Amino acid sequence: MTGNRMFDLAVSPHIGSSQNTKRIMWDVVIALIPALVAAFWFFGPRALMLVAASVGAAVLTEWLCLKFMKRPVNFAFDGSAVVTGLLLAYNVPSGVPWWIPVLGSAFAIAVAKQAFGGLGHNIVNPALLGRAFLVASFPVLMTAGWIAPMEWKDGHRIDVQSCGVSTALLSESDELDALSGATPLNVLKQTFSWEGEPGRGEEVRAMLFSKQSLKNLFMGRVGGCIGETSAIMLLLGAIYLVLRGVLELRLPLSYLGSVALFGWLFGGSGWFNGNPLFHLLAGGVILGGFFMITDMVTTPVTKKGRIIFGIGAGLLTMVIRRWGGYPEGCSYSILLMNLGTPLIDRYTRPRAFGEVKKNG
Amino acid sequence: MSLAQNFSRGIVKDNPIFKQVLGMCPFLAVTTSVENALGMGAAATFVLVFSNFLVSLFRKVIPSKVRIPSYIVIIATFVTLVDLLMNAYLPALHQSLGIFIPLIVVNCIILGRAEGFANKNKVLPSVLDGIGMGLGFTLAMVVMATFREILGNGSWLGFNLLGESYQNQPLLIAILAPGAFIIMAFILGFFNIMEKRKRGGVK
Repeated sequence: MTGNRMFDLAVSPHIGSSQNTKRIMWDVVIALIPALVAAFWFFGPRALMLVAASVGAAVLTEWLCLKFMKRPVNFAFDGSAVVTGLLLAYNVPSGVPWWIPVLGSAFAIAVAKQAFGGLGHNIVNPALLGRAFLVASFPVLMTAGWIAPMEWKDGHRIDVQSCGVSTALLSESDELDALSGATPLNVLKQTFSWEGEPGRGEEVRAMLFSKQSLKNLFMGRVGGCIGETSAIMLLLGAIYLVLRGVLELRLPLSYLGSVALFGWLFGGSGWFNGNPLFHLLAGGVILGGFFMITDMVTTPVTKKGRIIFGIGAGLLTMVIRRWGGYPEGCSYSILLMNLGTPLIDRYTRPRAFGEVKKNG
Repeated sequence: MSLAQNFSRGIVKDNPIFKQVLGMCPFLAVTTSVENALGMGAAATFVLVFSNFLVSLFRKVIPSKVRIPSYIVIIATFVTLVDLLMNAYLPALHQSLGIFIPLIVVNCIILGRAEGFANKNKVLPSVLDGIGMGLGFTLAMVVMATFREILGNGSWLGFNLLGESYQNQPLLIAILAPGAFIIMAFILGFFNIMEKRKRGGVK
């Protein structure tokens, strides 16, 4: 390796910019902190422990990889590993053992990022690939580790009724402990399997789409992954990023718009009776839409391309939620679109000034 | 090239999997356990040796225009033999290898050796080449299966290595399809580094 030399290239003249990788990454870290507060409030100190383990493992893995590949190890402290570690931890349920986020972070950094050449060369979002790795490896832990919010405080158990999950869910054969941890999307998914029982699914869906349920989703008082539940805290972070000029809104807005549209189109039973607001607030759409789909490395560079990317990811999210094998499709939709990024870039390349359109 | 080289070349230097990157289909698909890998390696080696033998024997008789179909007929004969023998005497292994036994017919290694070596060489070197390549293939299969079975099931050739607690919560991805690609990438990367070091390139 030529080491740092390759970054010394300079052709005059340049416009100086205060933006650099380090600043952007630490801005993202700051923007993710409100969600961490919400995670602590709803899921307890355990959530903080998992996040710390994940971030620590991410930075350590990055450092070890750089050391092993004889690259400058101070790259490990540019904040990108911290962001990956944070996002990975935000994507696991709070009931998992500590080694789950550690393993996920190590995989995300070592395989999804460093094996492809480090920051700027990874083809998919490392944190999301880490999550996909965990879901494939430990399907039971990763889909059953839900903890109901506030359960960690004694005597402050969640009110099942207000959580949007009704007793209508319970039949003779259902066990109550499954209910306490179910996420709203799990419940929604379940209602789709009741097509043969008219009324039952409708009733539960009406409960899910109710004002109370949407309020809980907005505040984060629902079961879910550590950092994805509280829409308001994530939005606070997103506003900070917009103000700092880090976040370019084409991707988030086209993604959220697409989720809302397709959520309304087929997010309920049949057509045109889904609740767009529910689909925006439930699961990881807000977290994914502002913090993961916006990864600069793995998304198109063209403006048109970014809008196509967002719409495609939104469509895939809703298709997985409605017909797929998992209750939530946010992470897989972004991963799939990441793979399409080079193609999108290729077809949306703007014409250079003076270039003549072929066969025009 | 000496006879010894004909034999030894396929094991490491020209390993069909690690160096020629042929036969990826069984390499990725049936290396979920060391037992499967050994069974597949043995079956492919058997077919490889005998097809090399026959192709070499008939190399002056087979018209060049129809040589590929002729090779396929020869290979398919031995694959059918293996298929039926395995079904009769090793039904459990036959069950777990499934479709990949008949698929040996279109295994690139076997067709590649018939076309690339046995076609042009005398019988003895061809047979030795078949044995060497077959052993190299089996070795590669076992190396891959070792990683996958230990990580994905906590065992090696059925022996429990990592204990009950690991087996309850194994790294399942290692025996799933993505794990095969990831582990293969690391193994090939390792061989590339070794190759570069030997040539005195990148340290």
